Amino acid sequence: MQATPLKISRRSFLQGSAVTAGALSLGLLDFKSWATATAEAPAIRIPTICGGCGNRCALFAYVKNGRIWRIEGNPEANGNQGVVCPRGHGYLHDLYNPNRIRSPLKKVDGKFQPISWEQAYREIAQKINLILLENGPESIFWLNYPQLNHAYALRFMHSLGSPHYFTHGSTCFTARNAAWNFTVGKLPSNDLAHSRFILIIGRNPAGGIELGEVKNIVKAKEKGARVVVVDPRHSETAILADEWLPIKPGTDLAFLLAMINVMVNEKLYDKRFVANHTVGFQQLEDEIINYPPEWAEKICDIPAKTIIRITREMAGEKPHALLHRGYHGAIGAQYLNSFQTARALAIANALLGNINRKGGVYFAESAELGELQPTHPPPAGPSGPKADGTGIPGRYPLGSYVDGISHSIPELALRGSLKCGFVYHNNPLRTNPNPKRVIAGYKKLELLVVIDPVLSETASIAHYVLPGSFYLEADEAIDNKHSGKRAQVSIQRKVIEPLFDSRSGFQIICDLAKSLGAGRYFDFTLDEANALRLKPLGVALKELKARGVLPVGVTWKEGIGKLGTPSGKVEIVSSALEGLGYPAIPRWEAPLVSPDEKDPYSFRLIHGKQAIHTHAMTANQPYLMAISRRYDMIRLLINKARAEAIGLKNGDVAEIKSLIGEGRIRVKLTEGLHPSCVWLPSGYGIFSKHLTTAYDQGLSYNDFLPTLFDPAVGHAMSSEVIVQVRKA
Amino acid sequence: MTRYGMVIDETKCVGCYACRVACQNQNSLQENEAYNYLQEREFGKFPNFNREFLPVQCQHCDNPPCVSVCPTGASHKRKDGVVLVNKKDCIGCKYCIAACPYNVRIIKREGYIEKCRFCIEFVEQGGKPACMTTCMTGVRMFGDLDDPRSDIAQFIAGNRHRLREFKREMNTKPHILYRKA
Repeated sequence: MQATPLKISRRSFLQGSAVTAGALSLGLLDFKSWATATAEAPAIRIPTICGGCGNRCALFAYVKNGRIWRIEGNPEANGNQGVVCPRGHGYLHDLYNPNRIRSPLKKVDGKFQPISWEQAYREIAQKINLILLENGPESIFWLNYPQLNHAYALRFMHSLGSPHYFTHGSTCFTARNAAWNFTVGKLPSNDLAHSRFILIIGRNPAGGIELGEVKNIVKAKEKGARVVVVDPRHSETAILADEWLPIKPGTDLAFLLAMINVMVNEKLYDKRFVANHTVGFQQLEDEIINYPPEWAEKICDIPAKTIIRITREMAGEKPHALLHRGYHGAIGAQYLNSFQTARALAIANALLGNINRKGGVYFAESAELGELQPTHPPPAGPSGPKADGTGIPGRYPLGSYVDGISHSIPELALRGSLKCGFVYHNNPLRTNPNPKRVIAGYKKLELLVVIDPVLSETASIAHYVLPGSFYLEADEAIDNKHSGKRAQVSIQRKVIEPLFDSRSGFQIICDLAKSLGAGRYFDFTLDEANALRLKPLGVALKELKARGVLPVGVTWKEGIGKLGTPSGKVEIVSSALEGLGYPAIPRWEAPLVSPDEKDPYSFRLIHGKQAIHTHAMTANQPYLMAISRRYDMIRLLINKARAEAIGLKNGDVAEIKSLIGEGRIRVKLTEGLHPSCVWLPSGYGIFSKHLTTAYDQGLSYNDFLPTLFDPAVGHAMSSEVIVQVRKA
Repeated sequence: MTRYGMVIDETKCVGCYACRVACQNQNSLQENEAYNYLQEREFGKFPNFNREFLPVQCQHCDNPPCVSVCPTGASHKRKDGVVLVNKKDCIGCKYCIAACPYNVRIIKREGYIEKCRFCIEFVEQGGKPACMTTCMTGVRMFGDLDDPRSDIAQFIAGNRHRLREFKREMNTKPHILYRKA
């Protein structure tokens, strides 16, 4: 049975597979004639998943006369529960983007020339074989934004003998994940829909954008839950909140320590939970007396009486109260104290007794996809450590070995440890800090191969660019992203025949492996591999293709057993951390840098997402950029009083300068921002001339951010930057 | 009699613009053509601050100024309350744009005037307006105002004191009601 919200599906909607090329003759790139001609045409509905960001929401794509018409959310999917965000609706138009690459490209004398796939594979293999001989397999890396084929990318690197598979994690979430791992053994999810008190600190699900989370916040609110948002900026989520607490950026740790202080002092914590499921509470009692709310008020600018009141209200609803597990902001990768902030966040949740409880934070059910064994055994894992030092005591022991420290790639290239790289579905030249250094590093590589539908900044400096299919053009590997109260598997399906000579990510990985003599590890078709990985879940590939998303496995149950920490309990005190030379209990740690309070021009530069843009990948999308322009959203936010003190009026052009970069941008004056900072929306500042809509529009925070590595986790500390802002 | 209407909850819109792009796709509009817009308003002074987004689209008025000024009858009101433009009869004179107090009409590149149609063809086949179904916070309710069993009619009956008409002073008698903050 096909789930459909429409009664009409039997009559005028055909269920179908990808639309064949025959229909494409009708004004493929000419939107206007297509729109006129298709108003009455029948629509074909195909379930798939979105490629507009990493959430991979489940969709139904509708095709009319061979052209994508619209999408709607699949109501079955945990992650998006039937809705679609603006990026999803807008990004589908990139299918028809005139900036798309039409064939593989090779850089010859500084210019790209089209070549055949076979020629590209042959030349890439020749160059890599030489690099393997001279430098060994460790000199090769693969970098991607987490994507459907990550298991195959990892297999590819392992088949060559390289440990160097990277994600964007070190610029995003690695501090958060490490802290939750050390404290409760794994990263939990938020049971927002059943919570009575939701405190969101350093996260903006309504702008970030997490559709399912926002729907659940609204559900909880309708049942009477209170929502408090702690954020230097009045975020999209703050609009939904009962209360906005404008915290001084970089000091979330002080706020959380004071909350813990109140919980301990007033004995508001869940005594049974603490006694049975935590270690180190006594040491916490000793340590936390240092952090009364009156102390925190001076640091974080939230009044002590507010911290006390919020903590009491929250504890009154325990265990159906939660502090959002966090993501990038404050907790993920932005500050020197992000790891300790995330530790304090996890401990505050544990004191509410809400670990794996209804209305608290819970360990979501996630589908355990099968291996390709026994028919297709994997290559032996790499023997050596990663060159970035993740997981090695004395280097970045808290860093994620799986994700690596991807913004160290330029450094590793400059010192010669990395010689050759594949970049897939990622654009480090724009999304990593300190672009001049990033460019220098990536240019040092003897071979850079980029897989992308367009010539991004990174693709622009590559030796070879392979046109990866747009997500609507290709079947891909099955996905287990939609975790929740019941695990789900989902699948990306081909909706439209490829417009150009592009290939799916899966096929490119297999082709590359085969051309490099590692074909024996990739001796399967996509359907075979998908079916094998679904096998242990008892789900047929055919049914998944028909439905787009399917539930698998057991339903989540409340309750706490042995956790994945060394003690099996919540580690308020972590002897593992102590053994590595880090504080066993969270302690106040000031940000690395702070603005000069006496200098009226000195601000911390912070950033965040607008709901309409994903990283640097959607700015070139005319439908989304039209919103940025129409609503004048490409501006630097600045606190009104501070702006007026330095003679800046709404709409003025300001000059913004850090130690490493400078730029000009118009300002928006607001009362909704902490005075110590300026806020720059991420996603702009595209400098690839091949992206004609986005080129030279706005700035990126990365233009101002030096190359930094947190000393324990290695994350980018992307809000540890002070800028001078003046009227231009 | 079916009489279509909508309730827009002013307290729920976070300004994500999904409704804009969902509508553009549903109606095959170009990137600068939009049938709805958001008005951002800010209140208070730091740190006691709040803001709000007001979604605006054709109000499908019972007393539609666009219809009374239209010289050809292209702008018309149907029995079910939906105000539409018949593009074959539209001469592009823009009187309706001048008359509409809500600033929700656009000039299509082909020269005729268009605006939110409540996705009426889609609704007649059992669907709901695209701006409503895509919204993560559920800002909009849509349905038959004359059907006492419909969600929207029941909501209006129970919340009359919290609902308002946008620009009531214009006496347009809109079919969209706003739920006040």
